[in-house]
Amino acid sequence: MKYALFAAALLLAACHQGGGGDGADSNSAAPSAAAKGEQPRTNLLQALNGSDDHKSLAAAIKAAGLTETFSGAQPYTLFAPGEAAFAKLPGGAAGLLAPASKGRLVALLTGHIVPGVVTDADLGRAIDRGKGKAQLATVGGSTLSLSRDGDAVVVTDSAGGQARVAGPEKLASNGVVHSIDGVLGSK
Amino acid sequence: MRNLILLAGTAALALAAPAAADKGGGGHGGGGGHGQGGGGHGEGGGKPAKMEHGRGRQAEAARPAQAERHAFQAERRAFRAERQPERDVRRAVRDERRNDVFVRRAGEERRDFRRIGRDVQRLPDYRPDKRRFSGFDGACPPGLAKKHNGCLPPGQARKLFARGERIEQDRFEGYRVPAAYRGFYQDTPDYYYNYDDSGYIYRADRGSDLISAIIPLFGGGFGIGQALPAGYDAYNLPVQYRDDYYDTDDSLYRYGDNAIYRVDPRSNMIEGIVALLGGGLNVGQPLPDGYDAYNLPMDYRDEYQDGDDYNYRYADGNIYQVDAKTQIIQAIVKMLA
Repeated sequence: MKYALFAAALLLAACHQGGGGDGADSNSAAPSAAAKGEQPRTNLLQALNGSDDHKSLAAAIKAAGLTETFSGAQPYTLFAPGEAAFAKLPGGAAGLLAPASKGRLVALLTGHIVPGVVTDADLGRAIDRGKGKAQLATVGGSTLSLSRDGDAVVVTDSAGGQARVAGPEKLASNGVVHSIDGVLGSK
Repeated sequence: MRNLILLAGTAALALAAPAAADKGGGGHGGGGGHGQGGGGHGEGGGKPAKMEHGRGRQAEAARPAQAERHAFQAERRAFRAERQPERDVRRAVRDERRNDVFVRRAGEERRDFRRIGRDVQRLPDYRPDKRRFSGFDGACPPGLAKKHNGCLPPGQARKLFARGERIEQDRFEGYRVPAAYRGFYQDTPDYYYNYDDSGYIYRADRGSDLISAIIPLFGGGFGIGQALPAGYDAYNLPVQYRDDYYDTDDSLYRYGDNAIYRVDPRSNMIEGIVALLGGGLNVGQPLPDGYDAYNLPMDYRDEYQDGDDYNYRYADGNIYQVDAKTQIIQAIVKMLA
């Protein structure tokens, strides 16, 4: 079973490289070039801990028990609300970190996590291909809708809550962080 | 109890007899002859008189000791009469305790426990069947049921409700929303919250009993620092994660409710969440909503690029190849772990 799978994988990879070399078009060339240039050494957790604007998020991730998730080998894309976004919550970040809110905290955080690595360029291309809209499934089971407002990418949660992607992405060895200006799923 | 008191009385008499004999010996010097009569009267003198006639010398020799015994008995009776109120109180307390429902229940539980212990001893030896865990092809390990949100232990699978369904109250009897979540999910005049061991809290409308929200909880409602729920005894990680996370003496890894947990083998406590899984991608099925964006890890982007014929998507430790036109998932081309 495994051998068959690997053989198929090899065959497909060979076919793809042979036939689709040019067909790969502009889709993935840019991000891979960017990635090659940077080769990030820090993981997602270290990237968050090193950011002054994500102290509350780092504390929330610790409280939810997700530190090993973000320092492990599995890749994730994190939409990361900044300090100003947490301040807008009723009760602020402290209210979310209270032990009684743990259920809410976990549900909220997993609604910001998308499997795999979706870079800024990937977000833009997906929106273009979907004629202005694209969807991302989170590990929490909800779906985020992406759209554009001028140059900015807007992320909308399933309840209609919105946040804008603000600032450049931060690539990590096991994923990417997009700073956003609101907390999703808090509506 | 009565037997016990009688026994104690007999023992007291036996102990008292030599003491009385000594006393009797000492009594001779005191010229106790007449004094005995007085003692005898006090006890109701008929009996000693009879004995005097019937037994002759022997009775005569025993007389001082007997009188002493009678005196001792009288003393004891007086002492007991004096202690009677105290004994009454003790008896009342004992009766009350015997009738107390909690004490009675504790006794019953002790009996039940002994009975269960006997039953367990009667059971045949349990031998785990290793063949059950020798390998599996599907997405779910044996014993776990495939559901739209992942693999669930038996019994949990049937309890999932969808939004808009009418809630079945009897399914939730005996369960309460886990303590950690109660502060947030409190009943209101409009809604009430129900929880069972399926790993979801259901919010239902008070008027219609229809489910208006489903709140997923990790691992059946258990998080970091809490005990792993029952039903996760066997190693059950999806194949692609097995090289990265395997059981050791220090850590066990278990998959449940779309997450992989690290568990302390001694305390059975969940210590960390090492991976979060999205689920829902299966070969032969259409790519579900939410995978519009190319999301491969950087190291694999050169090798697997979206093209006219194929797209590639990452999910749950695998890279999937998707037909660009039909959007059908065709194969897992890489397991990343």
